[in-house]
Amino acid sequence: MSGYIFRRVLAMIPVMAIVALFVFSLLYIAPGDPAAVIAGDQASPQDVERIRQSLGLDRPFLVRFAEWTGQVLTGNLGTSMFTGLPVTELIRQRLEPTFSLMFVTLILAIAVGVPIGVVAAWRVGSWLDRALMALGVIGFSVPVFVVGYLLAYVFALELDWLPVQGYTPIAKGLWPWLENLILPSIALGFVYIALIARITRATMLEVLSQDYIRTARAKGLAERPVLFLHALKNAAVPIVTVIGIGVALLIGGAVVTESVFAIPGLGRLTIDAIVRRDYPVIQGVVLMFSFVYVLVNLAVDLLYTLLDPRIRY
Amino acid sequence: MSESADARYAAAPALPDILPPVRVRTGALGFAMRHPTMAIGLAILAVMAFVALFAPWLGTVDPTALAPAKRTRAPSAEFWFGSDAFGRDIYSRVLYGARVSLLVGFAVAAIASAIGLAIGLVAGYVRWLDGVIMRVMDGLMSIPPILLAVALMALTRASVSNVVMAISIAEAPRVARLVRGVVLTLREQPYVEAAITTGTTTPRVILRHILPNTVAPLTVQATYICGSAMIVESILSFIGAGTPPIIPSWGNIMADGRALWQVKPYIIFFPAIFLSLTVLAVNLVGDGLRDALDPRMVKRL
Amino acid sequence: MDRRSVLKGLGAVGVGAAAGPLAAPAIAQGVKTIKFVPQANLANFDPIWGTQYVVRNASQLVWDMLYGMNAKLEPQRQMVESEQVSSDGLTWTFKLREGLKFHDGEPVRAKDCVASIERWSQRDGMGLMLRAIQKELTAVDDRTFKWVLSKPYPKMLMALGKIGTPICFIMPERIAKTDPFKQIDDYVGSGPMKFVKGDWKPGATAAFERNKDYVSRSEASDWFAGAKNMLVDRVEWVIMPDPATASAALQNGEVDWWENPIPDLVPVLKRNRNIKIDIADPLGNIGSFRLNHMHPPFDNIKVRQAVQAAISQEDYMRAIVGSEDALWKPCPCVFTPTSYMYTEVGGEALKKPDLEKAKRLLKESGYAGQPVVCVVAQDQPITKAMGEITADVLKKIGMTVDFVATDWGTVGQRRASKSPPGQGGWGMFHTWHAGVDTATPVGNIGIRANGDKAWFGWPQNDQIEADIASWYEAKTIEEEKKIAEKINRGSMEHVSYIPTGFFLGYQGWRTSLEGVRSGPLPWFWGVKKA
Repeated sequence: MSGYIFRRVLAMIPVMAIVALFVFSLLYIAPGDPAAVIAGDQASPQDVERIRQSLGLDRPFLVRFAEWTGQVLTGNLGTSMFTGLPVTELIRQRLEPTFSLMFVTLILAIAVGVPIGVVAAWRVGSWLDRALMALGVIGFSVPVFVVGYLLAYVFALELDWLPVQGYTPIAKGLWPWLENLILPSIALGFVYIALIARITRATMLEVLSQDYIRTARAKGLAERPVLFLHALKNAAVPIVTVIGIGVALLIGGAVVTESVFAIPGLGRLTIDAIVRRDYPVIQGVVLMFSFVYVLVNLAVDLLYTLLDPRIRY
Repeated sequence: MSESADARYAAAPALPDILPPVRVRTGALGFAMRHPTMAIGLAILAVMAFVALFAPWLGTVDPTALAPAKRTRAPSAEFWFGSDAFGRDIYSRVLYGARVSLLVGFAVAAIASAIGLAIGLVAGYVRWLDGVIMRVMDGLMSIPPILLAVALMALTRASVSNVVMAISIAEAPRVARLVRGVVLTLREQPYVEAAITTGTTTPRVILRHILPNTVAPLTVQATYICGSAMIVESILSFIGAGTPPIIPSWGNIMADGRALWQVKPYIIFFPAIFLSLTVLAVNLVGDGLRDALDPRMVKRL
Repeated sequence: MDRRSVLKGLGAVGVGAAAGPLAAPAIAQGVKTIKFVPQANLANFDPIWGTQYVVRNASQLVWDMLYGMNAKLEPQRQMVESEQVSSDGLTWTFKLREGLKFHDGEPVRAKDCVASIERWSQRDGMGLMLRAIQKELTAVDDRTFKWVLSKPYPKMLMALGKIGTPICFIMPERIAKTDPFKQIDDYVGSGPMKFVKGDWKPGATAAFERNKDYVSRSEASDWFAGAKNMLVDRVEWVIMPDPATASAALQNGEVDWWENPIPDLVPVLKRNRNIKIDIADPLGNIGSFRLNHMHPPFDNIKVRQAVQAAISQEDYMRAIVGSEDALWKPCPCVFTPTSYMYTEVGGEALKKPDLEKAKRLLKESGYAGQPVVCVVAQDQPITKAMGEITADVLKKIGMTVDFVATDWGTVGQRRASKSPPGQGGWGMFHTWHAGVDTATPVGNIGIRANGDKAWFGWPQNDQIEADIASWYEAKTIEEEKKIAEKINRGSMEHVSYIPTGFFLGYQGWRTSLEGVRSGPLPWFWGVKKA
């Protein structure tokens, strides 16, 4: 087991290296000059050139890449060209909001999606099943910002139940924290509720046709324990897999949700950095994203062994 | 039973059947009965395709014609869906936008599938390349697709073809992984091993045995990509990295109107309805295909 | 009790009870905070190194200046107690006020001013002019410094008190010694507020705390001049990328003040009786359409004149400000309409669009359908709107448009390229300038016509250049006005660039704030919060 973890962690290194190289070379050929943006309208071309030099942008690709790699190996992601702040600090500021949003969304998606999927599978073919699955498809079909605007309009502006925007750190209390996250999580959660409901239904159908479920039913066990204890337990593996895949998608969806609800998260940090060509920030954030992605997938694999004793590494 | 026959034999008129005869319906209606989700999906898509193709003859005006003096008008006889912040007719923009959005959806589905298929086949078949290719794919997949697409758009100028390429590249690794998985299981099948041992050349094995078996899962995957590409296009427009506004797409009509959603909700409402309906239709077709092509695939989503 | 507090109460019972120790300690009572939504993200914080308006607007809180402009655009003493100029106009001697302190408790000394001027002058247009004639800039004693020139410079105080970026802010010597092309990372200032570095989350928030030791002037507050009394303890900037969200937040009372509500949302805000709306900056902005004079087709004056004849300023302005007539004015002039330099002499071509004339001129020019590379930043609503109007106009008169939709970062780089449009260069782009900058030739970079040294587009016209130079030597307002007419006529005839109109913006604030004023930048001093 520990050997397996070690091998997996080792396998992460080439992935991260590829991501780093890829992102770096993309940036290198992208047009756009941060120095021109910083210098502003009044600056002369000579001024812009001097700023470019002071930012180290005048040096060739390989030199910059080697230098950056060296830094990263020592745990230093460099400093943002615009703010002058360390990239690790910028990421640290944004971690909590984004992970809070993802966490609440995932909990919501699981809490709503799994029961919907179970019920749909239980009443497979009925109008209830069809209605729930149709809802599920609609979840896939509406852009997240449309849902976000609608929610903000109804629940924040018209009803005045919840704030429209912002983020409160959890250290300031559980409710203030949650209050800011409810609407964005619902907006972002739509797709994941649909995704999890569909996968749950599908695996449940598979499991429900198995002999031991028939046995359980034949023994006269009530429907609820059959569904939620016996069947769901065995359907857990694929559901966990989808949650793992969902994390990468979640980060993407968070970009838009963070803009709509003005949450200072990683998604907005990345978009701002791309638009301004703040290269060290883009590199740092993307590297961190892939790190998280690889870690989550590792965690998912390890969860398998807990959920399904037949799987061994 | 013809009328003349009735006339000749003055018998009691034929009784109507108490139950209509059971017939196996064929044709479109029969298809619709057997695959209701797919039928609904295809019907919606057909309407959208019609709208896209015949946009110029459906009472539209030039979707790019500006009229700043008539901006943000509510829906009326002149502007059926209202006008946007530049006084452009939203009805015309939405209809013409169907062209771009459908094009983006289907082109991305086709290109991402083609790239993914090629990479997946190579990775699944050429053992020594597998590790390298899949690490690269893992690397690409670990970047959230929307961020990857935004970064790719930063490389170049906004245009429909660049949007298509950016989204395709972001989607392709997932296809590659799917295809590789299929190929790996197929390789172990006795008939494939038999073909190899009897000296069938590699391209022939791929063409005759492997490729046909990837078609089903790939088609299903492609429909989901198609739907998701249209959504991603709208998100790129939302971020400001999508198709340029002089070419209307549902995404950029919504992006143009988003700041005004509170006062002029129709600017965002009409394209959102069209987009959601279309994506819904594509997903319904995908579900239908999945059930029709391979019931076992249900478990793969 | 509104629904929100009921829900909060319920939440406190349901969730809060479970949270127990996580519940927040009561927020310290009596700390008055203004929550402000600025026009853009505070992405860096060095007003000399980075010259975006938003950086200047934040810096004014933290750093004080030697002179401050009042609403009449007259420089008034701020940190300076008195100044003397020798009879030959060559030696300026400045004396600082007593008791000025930096945020670290150190007194403000003359050498700090000298270092600050040195750093600023390397990055500022007027600063560079002064450097060119500078003989000596030295501290005489702790409170006095002198500036010796080789040529009189009548606009000295205007330079030290200018509002346009970069402003000559006074920093401690150790910070001001930083290379002007490198960013500072120490924000010890001299102004009425302190920058809270730990609360700076670029892209999200920036915070300022009242500087209790600030020695304010006693005169009434008037723009940058006079008293700068902070009546709140803290100012928090909340960056909101989405205007719809900012509007909702202001309506909901989650923020107190929004610098630039978009005009289309203003009717909603006006309906809310807790919100006040007013013009933000009476000096407004001038939109501008730059043409590349170096390459075809705009190297041909006839083509430039054709475009000039075709455009309708009203269309541009409606695309920017929406349906509100109060927010825009035609501006057939390169100077701000509210400035004494404003004139309509020479601006006839911009008064009414004439498509027939445009087509005729285009025909005479021999234009043969070369594509015009129109570089448009999509992430800036103002340039995006102007770009769409221009593409439409150019098509109407029969020009081929190559619409390059991109972002501001790319426009910033591409516009500096002097290559032909097809090879990474450009044909035209849009931008806008704050009215305070275009009020006089000082900050009005767009009017320069010194060829490849001019602003992007590089118009070349010796007469315009000579007229601009004569303005700096002008002694009376009358003289300056005469020169303004010459500059405007020259710029319009040569079509150096095309002004697309004058537009104003709104600001909105909750009625719980008192004392919000109009001006080229948001002034926080003198603002009270109930």
